Amino acid sequence: MSLQILINGIATGSIYALIATGFALIFNVLKFSNFSHGATMTASAFVAYFLLEGAGLGLVPTLLVAAAAGALIALVGEFVGFRRILLNHSSATYFFVSSITLGTLYEGLVTIKAGSNFFNFPRFFSTPTINIGAQVISTSDVVMFCISMVALLILAFIIQKTRLGRALRAISFDRDTAQLMGINSTRIIQLTFVISGVLAGIAGVFLGIKYTLYPTLGSLVVKGFIASVIGGLGSLTGAVIGAVLLGVVETILLSLLGSGYSTIATFAIMLVFLLFRPQGIAGSNVQEKA
Amino acid sequence: MALLEVKHIYKSFGGVKAIQDFSIEAEAGEIHGIIGPNGAGKTTIFNTISGVYPADQGQVFLDGKDITHLEQYKITRLGMGRTFQNIRLFSGLTVEENVMCAFDPQSRYSVLGGLLPTPNRRREEKRGRELCAKYLEAVGMQDYLQERPENLSYGMQRRIEIARALMCEPKILLLDEPAAGLNPTEVAELTELIGRISQQFGFGILLIEHRLELVMNVSHKIHVQNFGETIAVGTPEQVQHDPQVIEAYLGKEE
Amino acid sequence: MSALISNVLTQVFITLIAVAGVYVLTGLTGMFSLGQAAFMAIGAYASGLLVIRAHLPIPLAMLLAVLLATVVGYLIGYPVVRLRRDYISLVTLGFGEAIAALLNRMTTLTGGASGLTGIPRTVGLGVTAVSAVIAIALVASFKTSKYGRQCIALRGDPLAAQAMGINVTRVKMIAFLLSVALTAYSGCLYAFYMSYVDPSGFGWKKSADWVIMVFFGGVNSLTGSTIGAFVLSGLPQVLRSLQNYRYVIYAVLVLIILNFKPSGLLGEWELTPRNVKRLFAGRKKPAEKKQEEV
Repeated sequence: MSLQILINGIATGSIYALIATGFALIFNVLKFSNFSHGATMTASAFVAYFLLEGAGLGLVPTLLVAAAAGALIALVGEFVGFRRILLNHSSATYFFVSSITLGTLYEGLVTIKAGSNFFNFPRFFSTPTINIGAQVISTSDVVMFCISMVALLILAFIIQKTRLGRALRAISFDRDTAQLMGINSTRIIQLTFVISGVLAGIAGVFLGIKYTLYPTLGSLVVKGFIASVIGGLGSLTGAVIGAVLLGVVETILLSLLGSGYSTIATFAIMLVFLLFRPQGIAGSNVQEKA
Repeated sequence: MALLEVKHIYKSFGGVKAIQDFSIEAEAGEIHGIIGPNGAGKTTIFNTISGVYPADQGQVFLDGKDITHLEQYKITRLGMGRTFQNIRLFSGLTVEENVMCAFDPQSRYSVLGGLLPTPNRRREEKRGRELCAKYLEAVGMQDYLQERPENLSYGMQRRIEIARALMCEPKILLLDEPAAGLNPTEVAELTELIGRISQQFGFGILLIEHRLELVMNVSHKIHVQNFGETIAVGTPEQVQHDPQVIEAYLGKEE
Repeated sequence: MSALISNVLTQVFITLIAVAGVYVLTGLTGMFSLGQAAFMAIGAYASGLLVIRAHLPIPLAMLLAVLLATVVGYLIGYPVVRLRRDYISLVTLGFGEAIAALLNRMTTLTGGASGLTGIPRTVGLGVTAVSAVIAIALVASFKTSKYGRQCIALRGDPLAAQAMGINVTRVKMIAFLLSVALTAYSGCLYAFYMSYVDPSGFGWKKSADWVIMVFFGGVNSLTGSTIGAFVLSGLPQVLRSLQNYRYVIYAVLVLIILNFKPSGLLGEWELTPRNVKRLFAGRKKPAEKKQEEV
């Protein structure tokens, strides 16, 4: 295995990690799978693309706009899709449908604006590759990896060290009790959606740089889901580990098998993984409540 | 060997020792009361016996068969019925359908019969409905077949839950606080009901209960739990006069 | 009947069969498959290929295709039906994407992105209509059988279901496989009606579309789901010009329903002789409960 493949895999994995943690955050707090996450990524990347089109601004402004858009979209989604269901203590079934519906809505809106066309972000890097000895590494991989790491570190800091993080963990453990302890759970859930949306926005831009922008780009969210399942549903650390593993394994398989079969192969790996270690790497045990 | 034999079971959750060295032997026709303050591990005993989770240590035998590590639905099919502390009837189903659900695992028709009205399916469904009528009658709910349980009173829901447990054709019936939330009249009716079904069907009953007027009236033997440990076993008479029990439990009541 | 109407109806009937499958899975059992359309693709491609390449008679090819999809469904379902519900959604979603990638990739067999052509056009309005009626009748019968009851029971409370002796894993698997078989069959009909299939139409959006149809009419009512499917799959065919807005309109409608009448348009009401009599006798239909199947 060449160094190139490894670096490429880790870079891909770090994008998957952004997706997986954004997804895992919501799962952690509300205990349901947010299927609108993929479309949130696409929509926020497109918002950034169209707002900054022709402005010739660099990567950082694009990321900031996409992150803001992601936060806003997630916040609106929380309000129109999940708030009432949560307050009515309705069945978790409705969270599924709501998130699926929101996903369809975002993707539909993007399609109305963008058609089924492909869009390219402007070239953000003057030198497309970096040479280290005999190895040629793509600049965008290195930059995306670094930014993802910074984002994940900030996330870890928020979860571990801040009041918001503590409240979030409390709600994740037991929402009703947390509320009794004076935590404003609606506010915390909103903030969780905001963070998840920010991560989605950044991930969306990165996916757009890597694979070009198109309305169904969001279906790549499936990589984040696989990573989250391998890592242990709901665990943030697990999600990151799972994502990096998935990125590396997938890049290796890709170089061996080509794109179609490698997708099947990674899927098969996930199935086998579920068969033998359904609780995932992190071992979080989230069975349906007894 | 007794019909139900629980030998020295232990169960912990993290650091909390929910059950420590619990044993019980129950025969057909007997009623065993299990009492104790909240958090004494009573429901955990039921969950462990019925296979919601396995015991950490110890063994459970039903009718001579080791069921300690069997899956819950298999234990039920071997002859264990139960009700829940917070009534857990199935929403989206009528009273009759709720009770039928406990017959369905024993009902003998294949997936083909699930799709087409085969003679086999008609026969089995008929058998199920007859049993259903019998058990609903035993609890006095035969007139509510097509109602939705959520539209009925709490006491009625309790009875339906008992009928559903009867439908499992149990050798041992576990009743988890059946009188919770009932008014005194309903408790009196329930006391009568438990005594009657015990005689009529001849199974053994384990009964967790806070309402002493119920448990002291029907039980042959009483186990007093406190902080996961059994602090007294005996007839209602005996435990009522046990100083340890009075201190731990009854003392607070008076 | 004009060709347009006949075309629309045929496609609606094909969708109805798939949605009947989704109703079993989602409505009765509370599980969500976001890769359900991939089973439709398996049905369509396998039956098409068996006829084009292996020259099998069409009914046999369809039967084998449905069997193949069911076997694949079993392999996918085996690890996940014992886990909490989220897994089946996540895994089927991954499966759907994997199948799409595979169909695109195996160009010599499937024609890749340009699709599989030359499937004989042998299925028309009659066959699809009869198939849809049979499929819905089978599902209606399933719902009132012991399997349907057990599905509804475990949907609301898997633990209590286990305590009543229900083998939750097995019942979930049966429901999943029934839905897979129905969806695969709708795929077979699709192939022999369109005479051409390509991988693009079988993504997660199609699966999501079906779930939305089920919820639109009423997740707890087969009648409602069927009507939902009929309306939502028929409308956009008629209003072609709105094609791009279709998903947005759906989504907004469903969000409104979810927020204000989560049990769907019909709630739990089913079209049965007894309920119809009641309706005409002027008695109020059973109160619309808040119906939270936990």
